[in-house]
Amino acid sequence: MIKRTEIDEKLERLLQQELRALPLRRAPSSLESRVFGELARRAALPWWRRSFAKWPMGPRVVFVLLCVALMGATFLGGVSAVVGVRSLDEVGALLLSWLQPALVVMASAGGLAALLVRLIPPLWIYAGLAVGAMLYVMLFGLGAAAYRMLYRPALAGNK
Amino acid sequence: MRAYQDMVFSTAARLAGNDAQAEDISQEVFIRAYEHFSDLRGSGTAGGWLKTVTTNLALNYLNRYRKRWRLFSEMRSAAALDDEDCAEIEWQVPDTLLADLGAEQRCALVESALLCLPDHQRLPLVMYHFEDLSYQEIAIKLNVSLPKVKTDIRRARAALFAKLESSSAARDALDENPT
Repeated sequence: MIKRTEIDEKLERLLQQELRALPLRRAPSSLESRVFGELARRAALPWWRRSFAKWPMGPRVVFVLLCVALMGATFLGGVSAVVGVRSLDEVGALLLSWLQPALVVMASAGGLAALLVRLIPPLWIYAGLAVGAMLYVMLFGLGAAAYRMLYRPALAGNK
Repeated sequence: MRAYQDMVFSTAARLAGNDAQAEDISQEVFIRAYEHFSDLRGSGTAGGWLKTVTTNLALNYLNRYRKRWRLFSEMRSAAALDDEDCAEIEWQVPDTLLADLGAEQRCALVESALLCLPDHQRLPLVMYHFEDLSYQEIAIKLNVSLPKVKTDIRRARAALFAKLESSSAARDALDENPT
């Protein structure tokens, strides 16, 4: 028997020759009109519907500043929710006082959650976790079944 | 655009294995080229730029639509793949292939055989033979291991050869006994 590497090399050479001899495939005649049509459609879009990189400088700066402010507010809100509403007062964040009602709601929700966790028997929690895991496994099984029944035959059909 | 559209479409079609997807990819490539028109105009590397962008977009396109199924499609263990790969090739490789066919028939046969290959074999094969990428570069682009690239390309060659051989044999049989 001829060695595997020799067969592989010979096959590689043979197929390289065949594949490189293939001419380019002709692009569909509709391609050019599709490209120009899409360019015209994109050019007609208002600036706020284009990608961020194409926005004018002014709105880009405002947007970045807004994002930074929002991130800061979220961070401060999170910290104050963890530390407590009173400590927020202590750090003198008087300017954020309009956030206090929301923080009170968040703190109350946290307290309620903690209370529920204390009230629910541990067995129920374990059972809930087990049911969650079972549902996850079922979802995985359904995904695998859907792949085998729907996606793979469709893929084979496209070939 | 007219100078490069066949090259872009061919590259996309061979990678994607589907003409409709290839047209979508080609459209996006030329839109990007339009956005970089000032850089590309008069540049001698426009063809290479277009080919690279086409390859990357085709890979992104395939990944985007197939990532959700990857978990299920790649469930077979690496050990099982290695075992399969250990099987020796029993057939002989001739010196020429499809020599009795005309150029047009030959091209059509090779193109259709190429499109019949599964994605995980066709992609590395096309990248190796048409894009001149090394095994290592293909592994990086496809985000798979180097041994997997080598195995997939080897299997792709074997499958392509088998398809071409069987098509050729079927054609011979048809020529000998047309009824």
